[in-house]
Amino acid sequence: MAMPVEMEMEMEGRGKVRALIEKATNSTASEVDPRLLKAIKSVVRFSDSGLRLAAHTLMDLMKRDHSQVRYLTLLIIDELFMRSKLFRTLLVENLDQLLALSVGFRRNMPLPAPPAIASTLRSKAIEFLEKWNASFGIHYRQLRLGFDYLKNTLRFQFPNLQETAARIERERRERERRTREILQNKFETLKMNFSSFKEEIQATADEIGECLDIALTKEEGVPHFLLDDEDFVEFRSSELRQIRLDSLKEGEKVHENSDNKVVFDALRELYKLLVTKHLVSVQEWISLLVRVEVADNRSRDSMLKELIDIRNSLMSVKKDCEESGCTLPKTVNKNEEEEEDFWEEGNFGLAENGSTTEPEKRREVQSSNIEKKSKSVEDRNSKTSNKQSGNLAKVSASCKVKAKDKECSSSKDKECSGSEKSVRSELLAEAPVLRWGSFMDNWGSVSNKDTLLNQNGLEFDNHWGRVDYDAVIPAEKIAELNLQAIVYQENLGEIQPCRAPLKKGGLCQRRDLKACPFHGPIIPRDDAGNQINQSSSTDDTDPGLGSDLAEQLAKQAVKNVKERDKEDARKRKLDKQSLQREKLARVREHNDAVLRDAAIASTSRSTVFGEDMGETVGENPVGRKKQTLASMLRKKVTTKDRLAQRLLNTRATEATLRQMTQGEDATYRETFPNQW
Amino acid sequence: MWKDIGDREMGKIRPNSFSSRIKSNRISNLQLSNNKDIVSPHRGSINSLQVDLTEGRYLLSGASDASAAVFDIQRATNYEGDGLIAKHKCLFSVDKQHQKGHKYAISSAIWYPVDTGLFVTGSYDHHIKVWDTNTTQVVMNFKMPGKVYRTAMSTLATSHMLIAAGTEDVQVRLCDISSGAFAHTLSGHRVYMVYKVPVIMYYMVFMVADGVMTVEWSTSSEWVLITGGCDGAIRFWDIRRAGCFLVLDQSQSQLGQRPPVLARSAANKVSVSKSLSAGQNLLVKSRVPQKKYANGHGMKQSTIARMPSKGSARQRLHPGMLSIQDRATAHYGAVTGLKVTDDGMYLLSAGSDSRIKLWDLESGYNTLVNFGKVRLQASKAIQLAVSQDSAQVFVPCMAVVKAFDVWSGKMSLTFRGHYESVNCCWFSSQDQELYTGGNDRQILVWSPSKTITDDTNGRQAKDEDSWSD
Repeated sequence: MAMPVEMEMEMEGRGKVRALIEKATNSTASEVDPRLLKAIKSVVRFSDSGLRLAAHTLMDLMKRDHSQVRYLTLLIIDELFMRSKLFRTLLVENLDQLLALSVGFRRNMPLPAPPAIASTLRSKAIEFLEKWNASFGIHYRQLRLGFDYLKNTLRFQFPNLQETAARIERERRERERRTREILQNKFETLKMNFSSFKEEIQATADEIGECLDIALTKEEGVPHFLLDDEDFVEFRSSELRQIRLDSLKEGEKVHENSDNKVVFDALRELYKLLVTKHLVSVQEWISLLVRVEVADNRSRDSMLKELIDIRNSLMSVKKDCEESGCTLPKTVNKNEEEEEDFWEEGNFGLAENGSTTEPEKRREVQSSNIEKKSKSVEDRNSKTSNKQSGNLAKVSASCKVKAKDKECSSSKDKECSGSEKSVRSELLAEAPVLRWGSFMDNWGSVSNKDTLLNQNGLEFDNHWGRVDYDAVIPAEKIAELNLQAIVYQENLGEIQPCRAPLKKGGLCQRRDLKACPFHGPIIPRDDAGNQINQSSSTDDTDPGLGSDLAEQLAKQAVKNVKERDKEDARKRKLDKQSLQREKLARVREHNDAVLRDAAIASTSRSTVFGEDMGETVGENPVGRKKQTLASMLRKKVTTKDRLAQRLLNTRATEATLRQMTQGEDATYRETFPNQW
Repeated sequence: MWKDIGDREMGKIRPNSFSSRIKSNRISNLQLSNNKDIVSPHRGSINSLQVDLTEGRYLLSGASDASAAVFDIQRATNYEGDGLIAKHKCLFSVDKQHQKGHKYAISSAIWYPVDTGLFVTGSYDHHIKVWDTNTTQVVMNFKMPGKVYRTAMSTLATSHMLIAAGTEDVQVRLCDISSGAFAHTLSGHRVYMVYKVPVIMYYMVFMVADGVMTVEWSTSSEWVLITGGCDGAIRFWDIRRAGCFLVLDQSQSQLGQRPPVLARSAANKVSVSKSLSAGQNLLVKSRVPQKKYANGHGMKQSTIARMPSKGSARQRLHPGMLSIQDRATAHYGAVTGLKVTDDGMYLLSAGSDSRIKLWDLESGYNTLVNFGKVRLQASKAIQLAVSQDSAQVFVPCMAVVKAFDVWSGKMSLTFRGHYESVNCCWFSSQDQELYTGGNDRQILVWSPSKTITDDTNGRQAKDEDSWSD
C-alpha cells in the first residue's frame, strides 16, 4: 500500500518541480522570484529523482530560443549548482552544451534575442563559470577544462573576482606582517633598554619630587629653619613626602617669587620632560606591548605590569606638580618644546641678542652645553647640579647662541674645541641670512613670563617709572609681537614700450602695462614694428608680463574665430552626411519592407505572424498589457509600417508573379533550348 | 568483482579470463579522469598520440604548432589541490625553436617500436624526421614529395626498419632508417576525383585532399602494409612484391563475424592462419578460389565477377600489378582512419563518408556491422584506438569520442570533454586508460572510475551538498 502512495507523491513532486521551474523562468524580471526559488530548492532538496528531473528540465529550458528564459534558467542552475553535489555531477556531463547555450561561443549557435539580455546572460555565465571553477574546479575536470578553454583558447575576459579578492587579502596580510615585524623590532629594543629607561624615568620623577620639596619647604620652612642640602635628602622617603604634600595641600598654594624662581624653573623643565617625553614614551610602550605578539608572554606581561605602574606613578607625580601651584601653561610648554626642537636641529645662525646675562656665567654654561650635547640626561639630573641645571635650562638657548656669536666675532675663546668649531661652521653654512627686526631682540629667550608694562614717561614724579605689577602684557601677546614680520616686495620688471609703428616714422615709445591707448594691446614686435606671432602659447598670467598676456588673448581670439568657422563648416558637412544617411536608411527600410512583404505574400501567412498581428491589433485599443516574453522579442509596429505593408502587399504580389513567370521561362528555355 | 576474485581463488576461472574480466569491467567504467591532468605545452591542435610500446609509460604527442612532446604518464611531475590532481608536464618538447625542428604542423608522431630511444615525426612541411629521444636531436631526415599525413612502423618487424609514409602524393613511400633512403615506392592509389558542383555564384569544392591519408602495418605479418587513400580505397601491400595484393571492396560483404576459431578443429585453424599468410604471398587470382574454402559462409559475390569486366588492358601488365586496375573502394570519399585489431584478423576503417567499417582481413570482406549514425571529421586523418581484447573501438566523432562494440556496432560509451573536434585517441592497454587529443589543444585522460578507497579523504568533504535553506 505504501509504495503506490509514495510513487504518487513522487510523481506529484516531479510534476511540481517542472511546473515550478517553468513558472520561475516565465517572467520578464531580472531576478528569479525568491519565493519560487525557495520552493524549487525545498522540493529538490529531499529527492534525488526530483533533482535529476530539475537538471533535465533546466537543460531543456536552456535550449529555449529566448535569452530571458535562458538567463533565468541559468540563475536557477547556479543556485542548485552551488548546493547539490548530484546536480553538479549531472550538469558537468553536459557542461560544453551548457556553456555553448549560455555563453554562445559556438558560431553556429549564437545567443537568441533580445540582444541586451543575451549580453547579460553571457557575462553572467562567464562569471558563474569562474565561480564554479574556483569552488569546485578541483573536483571536476570538466569545469577546469571549460574554464581553461574559454579563458585561454577563446580569450574570454573573466571578471577575476576571486583573484582580486585574493590579491587584496594578500596585500592586507603582507601589511599586517610588516606591522608585526616592526612591533617585534620595537619590542626587542625596548626589552634591551628597558632598565635604563626605567632608571631615567625614575630619576626624573625623583628630581621632581625633590624640587617640589625644596619649593614647598622654602615657602613654609624658611621662616622656621634653615634648609640644608643634607636636610632635604631625608624627605625623599615617600611616606614623609606624602605627608608633607598632604599637609601642604590644605595650606595655601606656593607662589613663585624671586627666591624660589630657580627651583621653579627647574621644576618646569623637569615637568616638561616628564609630560612630553617620559609619559608619552611610556604610553607608547604600553600600546606596543599590548599589540605585539611574542613567544614569551611572561616577560611581556611583567614588563607591561611594570610600565603601567610607572605610568601611574608618573601620573601622580604630574598631578603633584600641577597641584604644587607652579604655573605651567600649555602654550608655553609648547613654545619651549618647539624651541628645543629648533635648537637640536641646529638652525640657529646669525642671531643677535639684546638681552644681557652675566658674562661670568657664560663660560660655565658653554661648557655644560657641550656636555648637554652628548644628551646624557642623567648628568643633567644629578642631584648636586640640581640648581644649576635649572638655570641652565632657562638660559641655554640664548646663551649658546650668544656664546657662539661671541666666539665668531672675536674668537677669544680658546677653550672651545675643534669639534665645536666644525659644528659651528656647519651651522653657519646652513643658517639663513635674515634682515634685522625687533623680533631678534628676544631670539631664543624663554619668555614664558608676562611682561610688565613700561609706563616710562607717563609718570612725572618718578623718573624711573612706577612699577605696577598689575599692568602686564601676557606672554602670549609678547610672543605674538615677537613674530618675524616680512614685508612683501614685488619685483617689477621693466615695462616694455609699445613699439607700434607711427605714421611719422619711428616706433611708439609709450610704456603701458597691458594696452597702449593708441595702438591697442601690447604685443611683441620686431624692429620695424610689425607684430610677431609666436606659435607657443604659454599660459602666463603674471601681471608683470601683461603685454604677453594681451598678446595671448588677441591670438586666442583670432584662433577662436577661425575655429568657429571651421566648426560651422564641419557641422554643415555632418548635417549633410546625416541627411544622406537618413535618406539611405529610409531607402533601406523601404527595401526591407518590400522584401518582407514579398516574403509574406509569396508564402502562406505563417501562423506566428498571424498571431502577432492579431495580438497587436487586440492590444492597441486596450493599452499596455502585462509584459510577456514574446513581447520582448517583438519589434514595435508603427502605423507607418502597417500602411507600408498594406500598400506594398499588392505591389509585392505582382512582383513575385512576374518573377515566377520569368523563372519559368528561364527553366523552359534551359530545358528545351532547341525549341526556343 | 569480489565474486571474480573469489572464483579465481577457488580456481574456478583461469588467470587469463580473470584479468580480461577485470579489464573489460574497467574499460566499461572509463570516464574523464579528475586526478590525472596532462599539461599540454602545445599551442595547436593535437594530431597524434602514442604511448610507447615497450614500457607503456611515455606518451608522445604531435601537434599543429610543429611541436612534439613526451609525457611520463606513470609519474606525475607535480600535484595540485592537496595532491588530488596529478599534473603531468612534458618531459621535453621539440618545436619550431628547435634548430632542426619542423616548420609546419606535425601530423604524425610515433615511437620506434623496439625501444624509446627514437621517435619519428611526419609533418606538413614535407619532411619525416627521426629523433633521438635522449638528446632530442634529429638523427635522420627524409624529404617527401608532399605533406605527410601519417607515418607508421611495424611492431612486428625483425628484419626491416621501415617507416611507411602516407603523403599528399598518391604513392606510398617506405623510408629505411638503417640506410636513410627510400626503400620502396608503392603506387596504386589514384588521384581522387574532385567534385566541382556549380552553385549559383561559385563552385563548391567537395574534396580537395589528395593522396594517402592513413597507413597501418599488419599486426600479423611484418611484410604487410595497409594503406587508405583519398580515393576511398584500402590497399594491402606485401612489401616484398610489386603491387598490392588486395583491395577492399565495400560491396563485397559477409554477414557478421566468422565463426569463432575455437569451434573449429585445430587443423582448420592452422589452415586459416596459413591461408592468410599464404594469401599474401600468392597472386590475387590464385587467392580467390582458396578463400572460398576457407571462408564458409556469407560470401555473396565472387571477386571474379568483377574481374573480367576490366578488359584486355590488364593483360599487358605485370601479373603483380594487376590490382592497380582494381578500382574497388572501401568508402565513398577518403579513408581517414585505419586500425587493425591486435590479433590481426580484422580491420576497422573510418571514412570521410562518416562510416566506420569492420573488415574481415582473411576474406577481405565488409562485415556489415552497423556502427550507427556518427559524424566523423572529413578533412583530417583520425586516429582510432582498439581495446586489447578487440571488444571496443574508440572513434573520435567530432567533439566527442565514442566507444563502440566492435562486433555489434553498438555504442557503449560517449566521452564528452573536448570543446572542439577530436583528432586522435590512444588506448593504453596496460592501465586501461584512454588518451585523446583534439583541436582544443588538450590531451585528456580517461581512466576507470576510482573505487571507494579514495572517498574517505578529508578534502573530499569539500565537494558535498550544502543546502542553506
